[in-house]
Amino acid sequence: MSSAYERIPVTVLTGFLGSGKSTLLSDILTGEVATDTAVLVNEFGAVGLDHLLIREVDSQTVLLDNGCVCCSIKSELKEALLSLFSKRARGEVPPFSRVVLETTGIATPAPIMATLLADPLVCCHYVLSSTITMIDAVNGAFQMEKHPEWTAQVTAADRIVISKSDLASEEEVRHLVSAAGKLNPAATCLIRKGAALLVDARPGERSDVVTLHQLLMETVDPLDLVRRIGADRSAKQNEFAFRAIDSAIGNKLNHRVAADAAAVQAFCLEFDESLDWSPFMLWLTMVLHRHGDKILRIKGILALSGSDSPVVLHAVQHLVHPLLHLSAWPDNDRRTRIVFITEGITHAQIEDSYRGFQKFLDEAVA
Amino acid sequence: MCGMCEIFGGGEHWANTAVPSAPGNGRQQRYAHIAIANRLLRRFRLELRDFEGRSFTLSSPTGSTVLIRTFPAVWKEAEAMLGVELDPLTLFALDGELTV
Repeated sequence: MSSAYERIPVTVLTGFLGSGKSTLLSDILTGEVATDTAVLVNEFGAVGLDHLLIREVDSQTVLLDNGCVCCSIKSELKEALLSLFSKRARGEVPPFSRVVLETTGIATPAPIMATLLADPLVCCHYVLSSTITMIDAVNGAFQMEKHPEWTAQVTAADRIVISKSDLASEEEVRHLVSAAGKLNPAATCLIRKGAALLVDARPGERSDVVTLHQLLMETVDPLDLVRRIGADRSAKQNEFAFRAIDSAIGNKLNHRVAADAAAVQAFCLEFDESLDWSPFMLWLTMVLHRHGDKILRIKGILALSGSDSPVVLHAVQHLVHPLLHLSAWPDNDRRTRIVFITEGITHAQIEDSYRGFQKFLDEAVA
Repeated sequence: MCGMCEIFGGGEHWANTAVPSAPGNGRQQRYAHIAIANRLLRRFRLELRDFEGRSFTLSSPTGSTVLIRTFPAVWKEAEAMLGVELDPLTLFALDGELTV
């Protein structure tokens, strides 16, 4: 267990109704991992059941029932986290070194992240480790078409896990991977294979086999994004915008893809020159203040003037994670690269806005 | 924290981050942030000032002054004072002019 004064990592496990969150949690929480993990389970409805499905678990399971954690019982999440920390410090509960929060299937992750990142009490004791989003391979296409929460969950993910792949055709899984990758190129995409393993869904990446314990315990490597941008650049010239998917399931996906084509898009801004932090930060605060609800995700690596080492930027809607200063560049490519996932805002609007702001500042001082 | 002035407010906000190896310490970089923000705000006759290194004051020409904790809140308060939206996607033309 970590000391009482260290911040405890929190993994947010989300995914639409029936996507396999509780099953995944049940499979992860075995042995030593279970005793070292506190679990917060949130259910929408008067009678909570999910906590009963997390079987044979020795971890502290706290049920946040009768409401959705992202809206109606947001304050209950804060109270539960603080109460858990307080009991741990007093020795009233067995020691644990991480927390997993399983959300309802209809939760949007951004308000949960707001509690974890912006609440002054919670962020003193807890740190957001990663957000894992489950996608149901069988019903994912339908949910994508019908439920905006599905899109919010996928775009907020650090890791996407496709479940029930054994019940769907290879083609269905391939198209879901493709659609999820286009919605959120910043996330790693894994497919559950059997009870204990996940495999990387995108060829050309590390294609590692990941165990369930690694999924829970490892924090997201910020350099994964850099690798992914490099892999995508050659194929797509930095644009990850939706394209028509033509196949059986593709026809189903196409409705959503076509409907969202003008709305949700992902793109990468690249700057050959180093960024000046002051103007960039001010511009970004303006953009997030006015359009934070349409900026679903920002993730990037920044080359800042006056600094030899890069900085990792990570934001979900209005919320920006604490900046991560890396000790060195991962490779010889030392340009700033920032992936934006937006809804109704184009690459040209973002790039023109920043260039125009820079030009204005130059003219204003001249 | 002082309950009257929120003097500790905003210190941990991401926008208060200083570049570790850049010229100037954190306080000096904060003044640089403010100077750059004022290039824009003065076009609207507003002025941003540092307040004890932890907060800001934003003042209008009529003397209205508000205490602000973070940079994102600067734009919110500026919009409230001006009665117009400061939308960066439409405000800045590529030739450096403002389109209000």
